[in-house]
Amino acid sequence: MHMVEFKDVYFEYGTHAAGQPSTPAVNGITESIREGEFVVVLGRNGSGKSTMARLMNALLLPTGGTVWVDGMNTAEGDKIWEIRRTLGMVFQNPDNQLVATTVEEDLAFGPENLGLDPSEIRRRIDAAARYVGMEEHMKHSPHMLSGGQKQRVAIAGILAMEPKCIVLDESTSMLDPRGRKEVIDLIRTLNREKGITIILITHHMEEAVHADRVLVMDRGRIAMQGTPREIFSRVDELKKLGLSVPQVTQLMHELKAKGLVQAGTALTLEEAEESLKAVLKKSGFHHPALQEPAVAKEPAEVIVSIRDLSHTYMPGTTFERKALQEVSLDIMKGEILGIIGHTGSGKSTLVQHLNGLLKPTSGSVTVDGLECGGKSLKELRQKVGLIFQYPEHQLFEETVYKDIIFGLSRLGLPQDEIERRVKCVLDIIGLSEELLWKSPFELSGGQKRRVAIAGVLVMEPEILVLDEPTAGLDPRGSEEVFAILTELNRTQGTTILIISHSMEQIAAYCDRIAVLNRGRLEMLDTPRKVFSQEDRLRSLGLDIPEITRLFRNLHRAGYPVNGHVLTISEAVRSISETMLAKETHKGGNNA
Amino acid sequence: MIGNITLGQYIPGESVLHRLDPRSKIIWTALLMVAVFIINTWQEYVMMGAFVAILLVISGIPIKQSLKGIKPLMLILAITAILNIFFVQGTPLVKIGPVVISYEGLLSAIMLFFRLVMLVIVASLMTLTTTPMAMTDGIERMMKPLERVGVPAHEIAMMMSIALRFIPTLMEETGRIMKAQASRGADFDTGNILKRIKSFIPVLVPLFVSAFKRADELAEAMEARCYCGSKGRTRLKQIRFTRLDLVASLAGILFLLILFGTRFLMISH
Repeated sequence: MHMVEFKDVYFEYGTHAAGQPSTPAVNGITESIREGEFVVVLGRNGSGKSTMARLMNALLLPTGGTVWVDGMNTAEGDKIWEIRRTLGMVFQNPDNQLVATTVEEDLAFGPENLGLDPSEIRRRIDAAARYVGMEEHMKHSPHMLSGGQKQRVAIAGILAMEPKCIVLDESTSMLDPRGRKEVIDLIRTLNREKGITIILITHHMEEAVHADRVLVMDRGRIAMQGTPREIFSRVDELKKLGLSVPQVTQLMHELKAKGLVQAGTALTLEEAEESLKAVLKKSGFHHPALQEPAVAKEPAEVIVSIRDLSHTYMPGTTFERKALQEVSLDIMKGEILGIIGHTGSGKSTLVQHLNGLLKPTSGSVTVDGLECGGKSLKELRQKVGLIFQYPEHQLFEETVYKDIIFGLSRLGLPQDEIERRVKCVLDIIGLSEELLWKSPFELSGGQKRRVAIAGVLVMEPEILVLDEPTAGLDPRGSEEVFAILTELNRTQGTTILIISHSMEQIAAYCDRIAVLNRGRLEMLDTPRKVFSQEDRLRSLGLDIPEITRLFRNLHRAGYPVNGHVLTISEAVRSISETMLAKETHKGGNNA
Repeated sequence: MIGNITLGQYIPGESVLHRLDPRSKIIWTALLMVAVFIINTWQEYVMMGAFVAILLVISGIPIKQSLKGIKPLMLILAITAILNIFFVQGTPLVKIGPVVISYEGLLSAIMLFFRLVMLVIVASLMTLTTTPMAMTDGIERMMKPLERVGVPAHEIAMMMSIALRFIPTLMEETGRIMKAQASRGADFDTGNILKRIKSFIPVLVPLFVSAFKRADELAEAMEARCYCGSKGRTRLKQIRFTRLDLVASLAGILFLLILFGTRFLMISH
């Protein structure tokens, strides 16, 4: 029995989306999803994934072909409510799908719409809340919950309608790693225990590993489909579609390409570990650790000096919260500093002091000789460019050009200087000049993000601070943003601070890492040293890059590999050196 | 920044007031507020004050919480009280230069002060003991008869409860956008009024864009959860006029009779 069936389905949005290319959003899909299946849908932003999801529960009706849900045609108007109770949907933004002012009443919303008896509603919402572990929060207001909790409430709200299938449209993309894990664990249990069909749309490749089947979408079509193993073995095709694969999969793929291993595709750390162990001969020989370059960059000069910084929100009220406590930290000119720590650890509070948005409760922050919180606010904000999460939400002008020069036009610069800077920034962010005269609201998500970043870059800040710069972007979009940042750092010597939840990104791009926990600075060191303390990080609720963990495990088990690799290229180098050393029966030559 | 609006924040509890039908609470709040405006002798003030105090105790809400609603009104209270002190004519009490403080002025200032305090407490007693959902439910049910003359009672109630749900979210968002625009060089604090109003455009446009986006997404989410208006819809919490409501209403009527009954007695004397 098929849960969802697409028969030659097309869907075209109305003419209002002028900026979009005229190809249909869904362009001829024929596909069936079995009852009880766990399917993950991958694809770039704008590949038609969300449209496909909306076609499944009749929020959209196909302009060509038919969609069947549990034997019902979505185009038949009288089946619409039956379809929606059978196939529930969880959306991307946790805030915009909770209707009521308490968790309990939100859970009841669906069953109420079904016209169920109050006692039956009660039974169902209690069961659903217990199932997702939110029974303690029944009387709470949704806005007091964390992102992961909100999504669990949204899922429970669907569960209370007792659906056979749940579609999650990028429901993990706005969550932190902890929230994401909560949601993924929950839907896997739902699939396993209750046999609910799960269709998960996501950008996070690791989430696809556990699926029964993966569909890859590209320009409104299904470009690839198969088991995770089949899909992730086609690394080059995925790359071409702007997607990526989990780190360990990428590693094994590269080793295979070099002829170093013969094993099949590895999806998980355990699999990669097994096949690497089989290749590397166990020996007492220990590969010397990769040495840090003796001098990372030129003799460092302190550009930001933070001394005993504390910040308390709403002091003297019942809501008083100590967000930062006695943080002292020097930021060096020209470095890329990563700031990690889980949600609520004080990362955002810390960076908002750098351009005077927040004033220290005690302690001091000095940027290049300027005291933050002093009178030189305007000068300070020119020096320090701060880019918030989802900066594209702040675009507001009629044209991209006006938006980019919003801050710049306040500096009283001559027109030709403004033009020069805009042109220069367009080069850096890789947008063409004709886009300047479009409305920012016509652009794609990735383009909007880059325009928003451009608006800060034209101020030519010496220090650039970014809060989760790649949140919500697909793998290629994320790479593009990081390419811009490293380029800026390299060519203009801009000091860059990045807040991120992605340890892989932090490990690959940062010179140093500051680890925050409950408002205190826990660690401040190079990525290699920070990520060598796995247990300590774990106790702070943080992870280490998958690849680092893999090599640590191998090293600990006595295999002659470097136990401190941070990136895939380092990992490949370590393995090939070890293999080379083995073949020539000589000691390993150091990196 | 704008986070100090406590009037209307529900505090969970199991008291008699919490359990009353929201409709009786709405009606009685209105009646008591009218009563607060009618009272004018000190005896009536004392009785009314005692009654409000009893309600407060019954509600089990900490006095501090219920008085919080007064804080933002403190300035208005102070100004009206002072105006009364100075401008009500009567028997002079104190003379400071040309300013005369009369006995009547002082009395009316004190009375006004207590009148406003009682008003705020009565109003916040309702909002503190009633969930926004129950309140909108109550309003919906009270407006139900008006549906026959074309008043969309259910839709109005739904709009109210969604507004309540999103107020904190949009406030947070406003703060976030202001910070982001300030980081881009926006300046909200200098210049004349016109310039300051204009400086809010970079905040308002993104706020509206996002509010519309939220509205779109919420509508979609509601549809996906089978919402199609009030037809065929049941409620988790049925609101019912129970025996408790009857007892409470009788008690209320008794109080009003005593309160204003004395007035008639005095007249007849």
